[in-house]
Amino acid sequence: MTVKVEVIEGGIPHNKIMIAGIVSTLVCLYLTYLNVLTGTEMFSFFGGLAVIAALIWGSHTIKVLCSYGIGTGVPSAGMIAFGSGVIAMLLATKFGFYAPIVAAVLAAIIGFILGYVSNNILNMKIPAMVQALTEMAVVGALTLMGFAALITGGFTFAGLTTGHVTVMGMTLLTHEQSFLGGCLIAVAFLLGAIAIQHPFNACLGPGWQQDRMLMLTAECGFLSMLVAAIMSFALISTGSALISLIIAIIGWAYTYNEYMVLSKRDAAAWLDAKPIPEMEGH
Amino acid sequence: MSAVAAKPAAGGAMNPTAMAVGIVLLLILLGIAYFVYPAGLIPLVLIVVGGVLIGFGVHFVPVGGAPAAMGQAPGIATGVAMLAAGGGLAGLFGGAWAAAAGQDALVVVITGGIGGGLMMAITCMMVNFVYVFGMGIPAASGKVAKDPITGDTQAEYKSQGTEGHGLPFVSFVGGVIGGLFAGAGGTLIYLELLNVYQAALPAVMGITAAQVMPIAVSAAGMFAVGMFLVNAVLTAYNITGTIEGPHDPKFKRWPRSVVASAVASALCGLVAILIVAI
Repeated sequence: MTVKVEVIEGGIPHNKIMIAGIVSTLVCLYLTYLNVLTGTEMFSFFGGLAVIAALIWGSHTIKVLCSYGIGTGVPSAGMIAFGSGVIAMLLATKFGFYAPIVAAVLAAIIGFILGYVSNNILNMKIPAMVQALTEMAVVGALTLMGFAALITGGFTFAGLTTGHVTVMGMTLLTHEQSFLGGCLIAVAFLLGAIAIQHPFNACLGPGWQQDRMLMLTAECGFLSMLVAAIMSFALISTGSALISLIIAIIGWAYTYNEYMVLSKRDAAAWLDAKPIPEMEGH
Repeated sequence: MSAVAAKPAAGGAMNPTAMAVGIVLLLILLGIAYFVYPAGLIPLVLIVVGGVLIGFGVHFVPVGGAPAAMGQAPGIATGVAMLAAGGGLAGLFGGAWAAAAGQDALVVVITGGIGGGLMMAITCMMVNFVYVFGMGIPAASGKVAKDPITGDTQAEYKSQGTEGHGLPFVSFVGGVIGGLFAGAGGTLIYLELLNVYQAALPAVMGITAAQVMPIAVSAAGMFAVGMFLVNAVLTAYNITGTIEGPHDPKFKRWPRSVVASAVASALCGLVAILIVAI
């Protein structure tokens, strides 16, 4: 299984994307902590931006991994990323302020062991496997934490498990109307898993272009953020949820437009190449 | 055809050193569970059993992948991740329903298995409907000359240049058995985590047992889904994406997958149990 199907030509090197991805994700996650410092929920939208930064990094990691013929299809990579990420993320939320960093470290440990298991015990022998699965677990954990911050306004275990309902003017504490108790995490899980695997699945092939795939990732990310922002109306104040929603809509419209421009650019190049030769009698 | 034939046959070999490292790793993880949270050791062992059931069960499921979608290879025309999500989660829902009804653990696990097996039986039947009546192709295996269960010869029905097509009887039976194992395994993981959370979360969070229910169910379900997908994808790596069923030569690779699933489940299960220990 060491047949490499494609090589990365040109574009930004993977390590640069990885470093930029992890730094901007952690910074955006910590910016949601302004909610606690200022006592509002206005900064929840930074969680959505963290999701997009992590997804862009993750989809490029999928490209690196799936360039080797692993034979299982691209979606499986997204599924293992979030399957291992959700476990690290939920334990990390117990560490309060340090949750994002703990999530990254814990997910890296889980991903590293899973990478060792696939590469050595299952004999995959793919050079990029260990690093890719490590990165994917971190991406999965941080993406889910970003969704949690976007929907609930925080990333602590208490914040994810408690919510408030207002009954006849009285505010009551509830555990059913929360990110974890209401199982919104399941929706966040699949919103992220689909957004991370779709871009490379849609853009792979001889016409693959890095900027087009990453733009599609951003588009998928904003689309997921849009859905998550709508879900956040249930848990955070209407004004704060509206800010997230407007940012998601603007971001989605912009990235969709850019992606269409890039698609037309690459499609025009294909038309000139005439991939199917004309046959006699047709 | 050339792309299918060009798939490297390597990967069938065992790596004894890595297997030994895997078993040591498994024991270390169980040891950590014993020292950090002794009450979690038995649930963790059962979670490992559940993970191994998933890993072993997926080998039975006829995963066809993209070649099957084009009628060039036998099996269900999608990847392992999707099939496992369909069959396994249906089992998980069945098992969770039985658990919510307050049934015995054995009944819950068997219900989960039946849920998964039923889902796979329906999937296999509808897939064959589409193959036979939609695409107009008969079911024929490319890996064996005779169906091991019915004894029907296969070569007459196999089109030239393909690896076989459709879903032969043995693949159908394999799919149902795989669904049974995977559904039971996923339900076992869910049930063990649910018991741990129900017992320990009220004290950790300082709330009543009734209040903790939605959180315990949701967290246990989410972890079960996560572990299910991890085990299914690791098994997909083991069979390099496609397998015809229990008669496929790739089926012999299952020992590797059992060790891999045991390590992965022990690792994920330990982290999941640590939530109530930290």
